[in-house]
Amino acid sequence: MKIKYFSIFILAIILFTASKPSAQTAVAPSTKAILFKGGIAHLGNGKVIENSLIGIKDGKIILITDAATARIDGSVFDERITITGKHVYPGIIAPSSTIGLNELDAVRATNDFTEVGYINSHVRSLISYNTDSKIIPTVRTNGILLVQASPRGGLISGSSSIMKLDGWNWEDAVLKSDDGIHLNWPEMNAPKRPRETDQSYNERVKNYNTSISNLTNFFADAKAYSQIAHDEKNIRFEAMKDIIAGEKILYVHTNSLKDIIEVIAFAKKFEIKKYVLVGARDAYLATAILKENNVPVILARVHELPEKMDDDVDLPYKRAAELFKAGVLVCLTNEGDMEAMGTRNLPFQAGTTVAYGLTKEEALMLITSNTAKILGIEDKVGVLEENKHATFFISEGDALDMISNNVVKAFIDGKEIELPNEQLQLYNKYKQKYGLK
Amino acid sequence: MKKLLFGLIVFFCYRSMAQETFPVNGTYNKNNTVYVFTNASIYLDYQTKIDKATLIVKNGLIEKVGMGIVVPKGAVVVDLAGKYIYPSFIDAYTNYGITDAKPSPAPQPQIESNTKGAFCWNQAVKPETDASKLFVADPQSAAEMRKLGFGTVLTLQKDGIVRGTSAVVSLGDGNENNLVIANNVTANYSFDKGVSGQDYPSSQMGSIALLRQTYYDAQWYALDKTKKEKNLSLEALIAQQKMPQIFEAHDKLSVLRADKVGDEFGIQYIIKAGGDEYQRIEEMKNTKATFILPINFPLTYDVSDPYDAMMISLDQLKHWEMAPTNPMAFEKAQIPFALSTSDLKDKADFRKNILKSIELGLSEKEALKALTYTPANILGMANKIGALKDGMMANFIITSASVFNEKCIIYQNWVQGIPYEIVNYNTIDLRGNYSLLLDQKNYKIKIAGELNAYQTTVSIDTFKYNAKVNLAGNNIGISFETKSGAIRLAGAVNQKATNSFKGKGQWEDGKWLEWTATFLDSIKAVEKKDTAKVKSEIGKLYFPNMAYGWTEQPKQETVLVKNVTIWSNESSGIFVGDVLIQNGKIANVASSIKVIPANAIVIDGTGKHISPGIVDEHSHIAISNGVNEGAQASTAEVRIGDVVTCDDINIYRQLSGGVTTSQLLHGSANPIGGQSAIIKLRWGLAPEKMKIDGADGFIKFALGENVKQSNWGPRNVIRFPQTRMGVEQVYYDAFQRAKEYELKWKKYSALSPALKLNTAVPRKDIELDALVEILNKKRFITCHSYVQSEINMLMHVADSMGFKVNTFTHILEGYKVADKMKKHGVGASTFSDWWAYKFEVKDAIPYNAALLSQMGVVTAVNSDDAEMARRLNQEAAKAVKYGGLSQEEALKLVTLNPAKLLHLDAKIGSIKMGKDADVVLWSDNPLSVYAKVEKTFVDGICYFDAQQDNKMRDEIAIERNRLIQKMIRTKKEGAPTQKVIFKKPRLYDCDDLETDNED
Repeated sequence: MKIKYFSIFILAIILFTASKPSAQTAVAPSTKAILFKGGIAHLGNGKVIENSLIGIKDGKIILITDAATARIDGSVFDERITITGKHVYPGIIAPSSTIGLNELDAVRATNDFTEVGYINSHVRSLISYNTDSKIIPTVRTNGILLVQASPRGGLISGSSSIMKLDGWNWEDAVLKSDDGIHLNWPEMNAPKRPRETDQSYNERVKNYNTSISNLTNFFADAKAYSQIAHDEKNIRFEAMKDIIAGEKILYVHTNSLKDIIEVIAFAKKFEIKKYVLVGARDAYLATAILKENNVPVILARVHELPEKMDDDVDLPYKRAAELFKAGVLVCLTNEGDMEAMGTRNLPFQAGTTVAYGLTKEEALMLITSNTAKILGIEDKVGVLEENKHATFFISEGDALDMISNNVVKAFIDGKEIELPNEQLQLYNKYKQKYGLK
Repeated sequence: MKKLLFGLIVFFCYRSMAQETFPVNGTYNKNNTVYVFTNASIYLDYQTKIDKATLIVKNGLIEKVGMGIVVPKGAVVVDLAGKYIYPSFIDAYTNYGITDAKPSPAPQPQIESNTKGAFCWNQAVKPETDASKLFVADPQSAAEMRKLGFGTVLTLQKDGIVRGTSAVVSLGDGNENNLVIANNVTANYSFDKGVSGQDYPSSQMGSIALLRQTYYDAQWYALDKTKKEKNLSLEALIAQQKMPQIFEAHDKLSVLRADKVGDEFGIQYIIKAGGDEYQRIEEMKNTKATFILPINFPLTYDVSDPYDAMMISLDQLKHWEMAPTNPMAFEKAQIPFALSTSDLKDKADFRKNILKSIELGLSEKEALKALTYTPANILGMANKIGALKDGMMANFIITSASVFNEKCIIYQNWVQGIPYEIVNYNTIDLRGNYSLLLDQKNYKIKIAGELNAYQTTVSIDTFKYNAKVNLAGNNIGISFETKSGAIRLAGAVNQKATNSFKGKGQWEDGKWLEWTATFLDSIKAVEKKDTAKVKSEIGKLYFPNMAYGWTEQPKQETVLVKNVTIWSNESSGIFVGDVLIQNGKIANVASSIKVIPANAIVIDGTGKHISPGIVDEHSHIAISNGVNEGAQASTAEVRIGDVVTCDDINIYRQLSGGVTTSQLLHGSANPIGGQSAIIKLRWGLAPEKMKIDGADGFIKFALGENVKQSNWGPRNVIRFPQTRMGVEQVYYDAFQRAKEYELKWKKYSALSPALKLNTAVPRKDIELDALVEILNKKRFITCHSYVQSEINMLMHVADSMGFKVNTFTHILEGYKVADKMKKHGVGASTFSDWWAYKFEVKDAIPYNAALLSQMGVVTAVNSDDAEMARRLNQEAAKAVKYGGLSQEEALKLVTLNPAKLLHLDAKIGSIKMGKDADVVLWSDNPLSVYAKVEKTFVDGICYFDAQQDNKMRDEIAIERNRLIQKMIRTKKEGAPTQKVIFKKPRLYDCDDLETDNED
């Protein structure tokens, strides 16, 4: 344990009973120019520099090059840190997440992601986003530095925002506000739930047509609305303007093959330029049409069971590779049960895809550069590249494998963030109690 | 059938039965007419047919039947030459004439029975129900059943677990006094609580426990002389024990579960089965039961859309194909069975379905036996019905042909000597090809189809019209529509054979014309040989009958893995060497094995790793019909072992993740849950064969939010306990009762036989039996737990009541009381990194496993999740990351340590000579995210092999396609279809109640 951390730890112990430390223990922003020497740089775009030089200043990466071939002026840097043999990665991005919107699943008061109503294009997750969530530090510890805080529920859930996992409040934590609107596409062939009565099932099936026509009408109205100025505003339609204009992304949560086909047709009908499928469990069966229409995919969990009994037992493990190899732009999400706290396993979900068809560097793309491209933030983050945000982390070992993922340093916009979290503090506290080393 | 007969004119109201005790309004109309049928082919019983025989009916009975019988004078004589007489059919399982029980939904949890009176405590136990008292004749249903050939049925109210008695009733019309032939015929049971709104039982294992306890209570009640409690239900149940006992089970595994209950109490149930029993026919045979089989088969799925067809699973496809072979499987296995219409949605499918079974190989003799002799025996009335013998009831059918002939027409169904006409046998059979002379043109008419539903076409040149034929008496009408309009013909039918008919018709323009139709020839049966052959080709039965099932169960092999990295979990640690598997055991482990057995399969393990099989201490896979019996605070009486299923695909999926042993736990809905089952993942074997022989018994306890129903919504606030304070008292109370109970039995058992006679017998309580086992170290506790206060509490309760807690499972705050746990000697089985899903896990830390291990607590990492279970190696690896455990110790978290917690470490958990060959071959370091399972062995049998798995995927695709093609052909042939609906498979975790819908 580094001395700096240790002193913070002692402080934490002292303060523990009186007031628990805030999740955000932000260090003052640094204007120092720092050079990292000798790290194995995984650029996030499929490339690796085995012996790298990485320079950061004013929150940006100002230099990234191969130490073996490059000659640089070291005097530019205020501090030089040797990280030989350690791994450097772009900050991992968790798309379609409830981090910051949810604290304890079963405690209603801490659930801040589903609003009342069916069509809520106007609500914004940004407002719920809690920078002091106790989950955030536990996720950062494994290299996740950015999330897309996304609303859930209804037909149209509202707008997500892309957040840096560091900041005093949502205003300064936001990387991109209201990046897109989330739509939960109705299921054409809804599966029958275990023990569901025929009556309840049939009702749900009937609801499909109603939902589709509501959705169609809403988009038609919103489109018409967007064409002229209005004295009397409709805030739901207002929120849709940027989607109609193709300036923001429509995130369509859907899974089955037939629904994917419907979504593509719907997007064509309303000339929606930017849209992304989220979940998309059957997308591996629709690669041709997805490519043809340039539709990217935020793919459902790698660590889940196959949906159907006859499916290949490793289907969820290998879906990402099938999409990737077919040329579909794909990234990974942890959306689902216990998603916020489980997001810290996102690097290992990427790791699993390595055993099922991808290379380690390709797998890394699924949680860094591809995610950035899909979310429309590739100009800022997602790869280790000059002029990109200095949002990255350093791990002692391979970060995609749980036996070697050990993040020792992490930076968001060039600012070093604190990695110990309350869980580590509790561990240390009780180790001390028992006299364990 | 062109020959015309002199038939009976039947008046329903004219011939009827009278009740002796009833006064008559008007004049008496006694009718003792004798009926004589001559020249018929008569089935005296299912296997004895006599030709040109005579049957005499008098006063509702068969006066005489046989050959060479002199026709008495003064009788109505009917010549049945060319016709058949069969004993009418019997359905041994109906609810004919019984109204359904009415549900009474409760706004709050219903803890007590809603039944008023001195009856059983549980609303689903109602042996006092007497079907004969509920029976009201239902003429419409009776007519429907008579049409199919039935004359007598057993009827009961199909509701509840102990359902009371049935009645045998006649399917005639008239007064119930004549129709009820016998009451209190059989006693009836099921595992389905029916309309009872009482919370207990909420799972099948709860139903099983309730039934067992009820039987014990009845035994005790019968012996108890004090009779402090009057219990009309138990009295009724005791009285019913001499009757035949029928158990309704909905599927093959429930059949086995019912039989097991029967065995415990010396009862041989007659089992009403569900229709999938062919999948485990050997086990069915071993029940020694007589079966009542349903004859409903799944409808053909509409698979014309390939995307939709993907939603249907291989088990559904295979069952669709094989369900009609179910009776045949019983016949082949020589298991006695009756056939019943009971599960048919549309009774009219009865005949069609039986013919389908016959087409696939069921013998006609067996089919007839299953509709006459066997059900008559079940009803205990083989001397009255089910055959045609002198003195038996005059219940018979008159048919045009052998009853299982596709063309057979049932003309009349005689019930208790009363004839019911179904098809008038004077009806003229018009079927045939004719030439029609009309307006000087020659048309062709083809009349096909059924006698009451002709399918007719009229054709000329290349034109073909569908026509409608109406026959009323001797008047025929034929109409068809051409392009220019409708042509309508009317005329008279000649009553003699080779009919020709003629008359007048009206042309499209209204002009009248003469017409003549001349009989050419009969309709030829369509050559069906080829299609029949294709139809009768049935795919192989898989074990289990679903994707990844075996056509042949894999066997033990001798396997030598050479030059492999061995994670021994022994003092030898991790090293490169050889492992020999032989006769299901690890025969040798060494750095190099020189002597290779002759039959050994040698695997080059270079670069690969071999580890002990993964042991999941906390699993809920392979359980059917409920994982929680949460309706009471203590349900120590329920047993997961009663409801283990072999058909869960997650067994195979987990083998693919290296799991070999799982403890199947009850859920965590109540402080004292049910008893566990420990299984090895012997994919393909029946449930009983998956259980580990001689394993210690375990039981689930639970603490915290689940047991106090914190997250169950506002409805669930009345069941005790609702706080952690209450939870403690549940334990004190339960163990105090258990101690007193044990003492009571000890005292009683010590009495001399003479004294016993004069002493009240203690009541056997299967809940307390389980708790006494805990006190006597014969059953061990796995306790679901989260926060330190309650963990501490249970250890205190245990200390003060004199038992030990074996394992705290989940134990997410174990790190806070690790010292106390160490002192108590309890183990831990935890999650690697779960937290934040409810309030009580907010202090959970991923360092828990490492810290507990470092403190010397035997620690395991478990799944409680069907998905995570197949990556438990990865979950173990997190202890390296969080807390810095050595890799060797980390792997023990999912192998040796859980084996220790389950008291199975002498047999499994490490790679050591003589231990069970439960091992996994990995492509890489098993703790690495990049490792894949190549082979999983259980007892030296390779149950998962990555290469073979690939082959199976191809085979599944081929078999699916074969069945889908067959379905499409079947649809084309006119079979009704159903829409494909994707049914989400049920997955359980701790909190699941069977009554919930799962999203």
